[in-house]
Amino acid sequence: MSAETHVVGTSIRRVDGVEKVTGAARFVGDLVVPEMLYGRVLRSPVPHARIARIDVTAAERMPGVVAVLVGRDLEGTDPFYGHAIKDRPIVALDRVRFAGEPVAAVAATDEAAAAEAVWAITVDYEELPAVPTLETALADGAVRLHEGPLRPGLFHGLGELRREEGNICYHYRSSRGEVERAIAGADLVVEGEYTFPAVYQYAMEPHTVIAAWGVDGLTVWASCQHPYLVRAELAELFGLPQVSVRVIVPYLGGGFGSKSYTKMEPLTAALSRKAGRPVRIANRVDEAMVTTRRHNMRCWMRTAATSDGAVVARQCKIWLDTGAYADNGPRVAATAGDAAPGPYRWQAAEVDAWAVYTNTPPAGSYRAFGATHLIWIGEAQIDALARRAGLDPVEFRHRNLLRPGEEVRPGGKPLDADLVGDVTKVAAAVGWGKPKPPLVGRGVSVGLLAAGANPVSTAAIRLQADGTAVLLVSTTEMGQGARTVFTQIAAEELALRPERIRVMGADTQFTPYDRSTGASRSTTLAGKAVLRAAADVRGQLLDIAAGVWGLPRSALAIRDGAVWHETESLSFPTLIARHFGMPGGEMIGRGEVRPERGTGSYAEGPVFWEVCVGGAEVALDPETGRIHLRRLASVADVGKAINPQLVEAQDEGACLQGVGNALFEEMLFEDGVLVNGSLLEYRVPTTADMPDEYRSIIVENADGPGPYGAKGVGEGALAGVVGAIVTALADLGVEMYDLPLSPERVWRRLRELEAQGTVLLRD
Amino acid sequence: MLRPFEIHEPATVTAASRLLAYYGDEAAVYAGGTELLPVMKEGLAHYPHLVNIKTIAGLESIAFHQGILRIGALATHRQIERSPVVRERLPLLGQVACGVANLRVRIAGTLGGNLCFAEPHSDPAAVLVASGATLVLARDAEERRVSAEAFFTGILQTVRLPDEILTGVEVPDPGPGVGAAYHRFALHERPIAGVAAVLAVHEGIITRACLVVGSVGPIPARIAEAEAGLIGQAPAGSVLSAAAEAAGRHADVLEDLYGSVDYKRHIVAVMARRALKEAAARGHVEAT
Amino acid sequence: MDERSEAPARRRIALVVNGNPVEAEIEPRELLLDFLRHRLGLMGAKRSCDVQVCGSCTVLLDGEPVSACCTLAYEARDRQVLTIEGLADAGRLHVLQEAFIEHAAVQCGFCTSGMILTSLELLREVPAPVPEQVRSHLKGNLCRCTGYRRIIDAVVDAGRRLAAEGASS
Repeated sequence: MSAETHVVGTSIRRVDGVEKVTGAARFVGDLVVPEMLYGRVLRSPVPHARIARIDVTAAERMPGVVAVLVGRDLEGTDPFYGHAIKDRPIVALDRVRFAGEPVAAVAATDEAAAAEAVWAITVDYEELPAVPTLETALADGAVRLHEGPLRPGLFHGLGELRREEGNICYHYRSSRGEVERAIAGADLVVEGEYTFPAVYQYAMEPHTVIAAWGVDGLTVWASCQHPYLVRAELAELFGLPQVSVRVIVPYLGGGFGSKSYTKMEPLTAALSRKAGRPVRIANRVDEAMVTTRRHNMRCWMRTAATSDGAVVARQCKIWLDTGAYADNGPRVAATAGDAAPGPYRWQAAEVDAWAVYTNTPPAGSYRAFGATHLIWIGEAQIDALARRAGLDPVEFRHRNLLRPGEEVRPGGKPLDADLVGDVTKVAAAVGWGKPKPPLVGRGVSVGLLAAGANPVSTAAIRLQADGTAVLLVSTTEMGQGARTVFTQIAAEELALRPERIRVMGADTQFTPYDRSTGASRSTTLAGKAVLRAAADVRGQLLDIAAGVWGLPRSALAIRDGAVWHETESLSFPTLIARHFGMPGGEMIGRGEVRPERGTGSYAEGPVFWEVCVGGAEVALDPETGRIHLRRLASVADVGKAINPQLVEAQDEGACLQGVGNALFEEMLFEDGVLVNGSLLEYRVPTTADMPDEYRSIIVENADGPGPYGAKGVGEGALAGVVGAIVTALADLGVEMYDLPLSPERVWRRLRELEAQGTVLLRD
Repeated sequence: MLRPFEIHEPATVTAASRLLAYYGDEAAVYAGGTELLPVMKEGLAHYPHLVNIKTIAGLESIAFHQGILRIGALATHRQIERSPVVRERLPLLGQVACGVANLRVRIAGTLGGNLCFAEPHSDPAAVLVASGATLVLARDAEERRVSAEAFFTGILQTVRLPDEILTGVEVPDPGPGVGAAYHRFALHERPIAGVAAVLAVHEGIITRACLVVGSVGPIPARIAEAEAGLIGQAPAGSVLSAAAEAAGRHADVLEDLYGSVDYKRHIVAVMARRALKEAAARGHVEAT
Repeated sequence: MDERSEAPARRRIALVVNGNPVEAEIEPRELLLDFLRHRLGLMGAKRSCDVQVCGSCTVLLDGEPVSACCTLAYEARDRQVLTIEGLADAGRLHVLQEAFIEHAAVQCGFCTSGMILTSLELLREVPAPVPEQVRSHLKGNLCRCTGYRRIIDAVVDAGRRLAAEGASS
């Protein structure tokens, strides 16, 4: 096809805009199913205990209560799920492993009745020794949270899973070259221990699920990102064929990974089955925070370089706290391991990453996982080496960054981005090289995120007899603009105006398979399936027209909703009517994406490398330790921006989440119990936290595997900005080892540096 | 989830007080609801009877009369923030009213509710203590006046009796040469620390000083040690800094999710210095 | 439990919602958010933080923004409630709604109704606000998707357009 595009590359209005500004857009919590009951969950107040007794008799007798579900209701079934490791029961059986774990659930005719019944349930907990931190979980002789053989889930995608020792859930290792020898021969070595806190994704809409059982099986309306993976897990849990499980996903009020894989669906389905009526469970925020979170982490890293500024080797050990159940911990560990070396030309690199079970709420996916954990650490060390080598940090990176086509990790996809160009652009955007006012520091950060997950997506288009089209694709619209982007792709390929196309949300009974919505994959992979589906319809239309005119397809062109031969045209409705011999029928196009080489496994991947490039200019108040953001910049290295405005919006949102992760977001636990489970104490960025100036720089090198050379975006800026803020503070002489950079933590560090007699601030 | 309750609508303070006396522990005063309802929703407290004092006329008025600024207990933060009288007579209170929680809370929440709830992280409380305000409490037909300083007794505790209604706050006109300032340090909606300073400066000498530290401890409290170091001195930087350091040292500071004790002491000193400097500068302007 | 058996008397209230008179019998404990969503089927105001911090449940009560999650339905008696559903005029979008779409100030949409209604109140007070005023006014409305800049741009732009309309009419 020609490189010229009409709709693709323009910032058309969001297709869901009107619905969303008028309050008409429906989220799961807005749906009312006939006969629906309201579910409430009783959650464990303690992090680790044996359940000696549960008494639900009082609760069951309360007015309005229809059913109370507890572990013993699941006897005789295999109630364990987990897409990576099947280690989690639908509801606690005889043991709870984290404070917040569902112990019972009530279905009642209204929410108040359900809440009161939950209060009326009595549970005797025999507390067990808890390991609520990485330190305690990894200690010799620590109590083990999971025993027995490890059962791989349906979608771990990590090759053979081995049962590790103690509380290790998963171990990822990557090694190339002889790291010890390389480091021994280097001139400059930096080494440090770092920590990253547990943070919450904070999608504005907490997890909400409605489950209903009927003669056909189970129907679930879920705020989930991955409807097909949820369907498969539900089918397996409840012993149903996949066609008997229907997962419907309306709009999502944000996801950011918090709604990836299976969350509240099994519990809601089990409760509904017991109640014999549809049930809705809507998490409160404090419940959502113990449903999933970002891994907190401990890391040791050292990096070596020559005195003339060439990087030599890096060695890194990573311990990620995955909480009581694996959730996506193994994949987070592998992605962290992928991000740890950084995109530099190493002689040797060695990474070990462990996901560790602890008595805390399960940790899973959150935007740019792994990369956000590791890049700031690697980049802090790169900066430290640059300073020791007496080189400008940007110049140091220029010398050592990989170039397009170079190997990122053995066996994986070579680099598909211009990192040198990207980092140059962000540096310029934050005023690199210009004079700095006192107490102002600048930093850049560059890294890679393994993006795309498994490259499996399908899509279908139904071109109606009147020339309008319905696009069927199971990607979840959670704010990123997927429906708009797909509309543009289909409009481009079919030469239709965007308003003639409708995109529905996922309904596994109707919309074709998509692996998942996450890992920045939708535009690249589902978008490509959409493109192919549209091309399929286009081909059919051309064939019909070719038959009508008795001309070869090559003599025909498609534009403005019609097939053209020179100045003659046949509109799509005319062609469809000719084909079916009546003013009805429809043309159905299908498109699919599957691995183009190998099996499409992560090890052979990723689908593409998402760049995580950020720049920051910060001002420090040394009296309070508070950091003020003067300038932030990020690069959206997207190959091709299908909708530039949406690209910038994604980047900008990721950037502000990065600000939260870098400066103040932190889930606080006391003995495994979350103590800031409300917005009164858990701080999310507000308008007051916006940088004075922000730039998202779109880079379009058509080097992505998606439609028109596109590749995904929306996560990298988060990791990039965190790294840039850390390096900007280091530019002031304040090297930090623990996030978030809360005023108190920065102030303590300043005092520490003062005590060491370090001359701190260029003032 | 709110558990069931009844709402009573007294027309007078006396009637409200009698309802409170009648229902005792079962009743709570209901005004803006911004403090009470979240607590009840969380199940931390339950009152089967809410006595709505918004049905009592006149408790929301703001007026200046005979050297006294009187703010009705039902005046909302928003109303205070926008009141021309407050802007003229006690601009500092108007300024802190803008910073309370968020817009919606300022629109619904009342000054009286803020004070009676006695949540330690209150900006208006610290400012009123520093401004020498008096709180007017009414019970049945009686009325008594309590200084703002004596009103707060602990976390969520005041001298208000269960059947007393706070009807208003009275703030004396500071007179010439008096400067006031409030500096807070906040990461969340509620401040980590807030320091209010009121200085009277006559002929280059501090004649009266009131330094109140709020949010870090159980109640907003004057720091006598800091004030003592100011009286009789010229408002020089070194004098103010020394007083600020004293405020940090002597403040009653509790550790909580917002920060550790030593950090909060440090922040108190920083905020105190900034507040004192600004108050001294304002006092100087006022005097000239 | 015992409170349930001796449930407090229900109250009749009359109010105006989006210009339409509404009469209803409510329980005193009923929250405005539940009243609007469950009784009237107005789903535009969303429950998120539930502690009056995030602003997703914002509606206008007599023109002023309140957190419907922490406001009793009782408070709306004899008053005017405006929800996002009542903003468009006979299907014609309000200038603010148009501007939110145009500036891509909408992503997931969960915060959008609160953002727009809070901004509406600002535009009534300050006809053509500058970015700093919008930023300060919206400090209590959280959005996790956008980074806020586009929201502020949209409100500033809508303010300008409304001021221009006002000047020309």
